[in-house]
Amino acid sequence: MIKERSQALARSKWFLPSFSLALGVVILAVSWLGGSPGEGWISLGFLAAFGLFILLAGRSETIRGLRGDGRDERFAQIDLRATAVSGLVLIVTLIVAWLVEIAQGHSGNPYGWLLATGGAAYALAVAFFRWRG
Amino acid sequence: MKNRVRTLRLQQNLAQGQLAEAMGVSRQTINSIENERYTPSLPLAMALARFFGVPVEEMFDDQGT
Repeated sequence: MIKERSQALARSKWFLPSFSLALGVVILAVSWLGGSPGEGWISLGFLAAFGLFILLAGRSETIRGLRGDGRDERFAQIDLRATAVSGLVLIVTLIVAWLVEIAQGHSGNPYGWLLATGGAAYALAVAFFRWRG
Repeated sequence: MKNRVRTLRLQQNLAQGQLAEAMGVSRQTINSIENERYTPSLPLAMALARFFGVPVEEMFDDQGT
């Protein structure tokens, strides 16, 4: 039931625009707390514009897939592969940044912690999906 | 995976979009299946076979991949 509802939500064309707007509001709130609301307003404006663009953009498969309303099993597979590639790029970037920090005589953090978090999350995810079958 | 989706679709005078709508997928997904760029999931393969009234193994050829 929950899974069906979340899938229906993710397949709505309002999903990504709403997410962008909500993220913008959160960034504005934390920027305000951090004493720099100007940057928060810029972020909110950028994310709101992005959300509006995605909402009003054409009917290309890429846009509809990103937006949510064009998702089917093939796009879910594309999404999974794209997520894996972006995760791999992120991990490689973090490893390089961590090594550079260490070579410069620094502790390597926060890159070391981020790498540890990524590694632990991967191991836990493998264990979970293996257990779930 | 080699398949007869295009042949069966054309036999019924269906456009890719019509078949896609009947299957609940995008037109591009039907196009990718017909051009052997995408292997459908088992539920979709069974739905296609049921739609055209043929056994799955007659529609898809796993020996000819």
